[in-house]
Amino acid sequence: MKFLLISTTLFFMAITLLWSGSGFAAGTQYNMRVDGLACPFCAYGIEKKFIKTEGVDSVDIDLQKGLVIVKTHEGKTFKEEKLKEIINDSGFTMKSVTEKNL
Amino acid sequence: MKKILKIIQWLLFVVLVLIGVIYFIWISSAQEPAYILEKTWGEKGSAKGQFNEPTGITVKGKEVFVSDSRNQRIQVFNPDGVILRQFGMNNLERPMSLTIAKDELYVADYFADQIKVFSLQGDYRRSIGRPGTGPGEFSIPGGVAVAENGDLYVPGFTTQRVQQLRADGSFVRQWGITGEAGTFGGKLRYPTDVALSKDGTLFIADGYNDRILAIAPDGQLLTKWGGPFAMNIFGPFNGWFATITGISIGPSGNVFVADFYNDRVQKFTPDGVFLNAFGIKSTGPTHTSIAVAEADDGSVFVADYANHQIQKWRPGK
Repeated sequence: MKFLLISTTLFFMAITLLWSGSGFAAGTQYNMRVDGLACPFCAYGIEKKFIKTEGVDSVDIDLQKGLVIVKTHEGKTFKEEKLKEIINDSGFTMKSVTEKNL
Repeated sequence: MKKILKIIQWLLFVVLVLIGVIYFIWISSAQEPAYILEKTWGEKGSAKGQFNEPTGITVKGKEVFVSDSRNQRIQVFNPDGVILRQFGMNNLERPMSLTIAKDELYVADYFADQIKVFSLQGDYRRSIGRPGTGPGEFSIPGGVAVAENGDLYVPGFTTQRVQQLRADGSFVRQWGITGEAGTFGGKLRYPTDVALSKDGTLFIADGYNDRILAIAPDGQLLTKWGGPFAMNIFGPFNGWFATITGISIGPSGNVFVADFYNDRVQKFTPDGVFLNAFGIKSTGPTHTSIAVAEADDGSVFVADYANHQIQKWRPGK
C-alpha cells in the first residue's frame, strides 16, 4: 500500500514537472515566405537580423521552400508588421507568414 | 495582308540585327583553353575537413584557407585537400571572404560586424571596426582587402558602400551612398566583396548590380564591366553576371569573379576583357561558386557553397 502511494505521488510529480517544463518551452513559430533566398549574403542577413532581435530563440532558413523559420521564447510574439519590417531591413519582401504555438 | 507580311518581315530583320549586334558587342568568347576540374574535396558536416556552407577562400603558397561559415571556423588545407589545421572557433560568428596581407589572415565576420585578424597559424590577433552605419562602422561586411600601407577596404552589404579605413579602423573615405542602393550616380547595390591589385586598383564586386567596378588609387572610376553598359542587366553569357559574390586578383594580375547564380567563375584581364569561364552546375535550390582564389602555379580554388566542398581547377593546355 505504501509502495502504491509513493509510486502514485511520484507519477503525479513527474506529470506536473513535465507540464511546467512544456510551459517554459512554449513559444511561437513563424514561417515566413521570402523570395530570392538562394544567395547566402541575403539569407545570412535575414538570419542575423532575427538572431539579434530580442525574444528570438532560433532561426532556420529553408532554401528549398524559400522559408525563414523563426521560433520565439515563451510568451514572445511578433506582429506581422514587425516581421515585415525586419525582412524589409534585410533588403527583401515578405510574401506571407503563418504562425503556430509551440 | 501583303502590307502586314512586309511589316513582320521588317520586324524580324530588325530583331535579327539587334541579336547580332548584342552578340558581337556584349558576348565574348573564351581567349584561353578551357580549365579542367582536377578534384573536389569536402562534404557537409562539422568534422575536420568537412564544411557547413563554405563562403570564402584564399591561398598563400601551399596552403588553402577556407571560411567554413556555419561551423564558425577557418580550415587550412594543402593543395591536394589534406587538412592541416583549423582555428577561429572561439572568435568567429559567421566568417565570409578572406584575404592575406603581410602574413596575417583577415576575415570579414558577417555577424560580428568586424574584421577579425589572425596569424596564418591561427592565433587571434585583433578585431577592427564595430557595428553601425557611421564612418568606420560595419553592418554585415562580406569581404575585405588590405593595401600595402595597411589600409583596409570593406564592403557593407546593406549599407551599400565600400569604406576605406586606416589599419586602426579610422575612416578615410567611401564609395557608394550609405543605405541607398542604386545603379547610377555613384551608387552601389549590395556590394559583396573587394580585391586590390598590386598597382593599387580597387575592384568592387557590385553584387546585385551584376558588375565589377575598377577604381584608381585616386578614387576615380577607371572602368566597369558586366553585361550591356554595366547597368544591372544580368544574364548567362560570357562577360555577364547573375549576382557576384566574390572577387580576387591572381598572381598574374587577372581578375577572378564568382558569378554565383550562374554557378561559375569568370576570369578577366584587369581592364575587363573576358578570358575564361568554368564551374559546376548546381542541382538547386542554391548555387555553387561563391568565392575564388588563384594559386602561384595557376591552379584555381573555388568555395562551392551548394555542395559544401572545394573545387580545384587547373588551366587547360
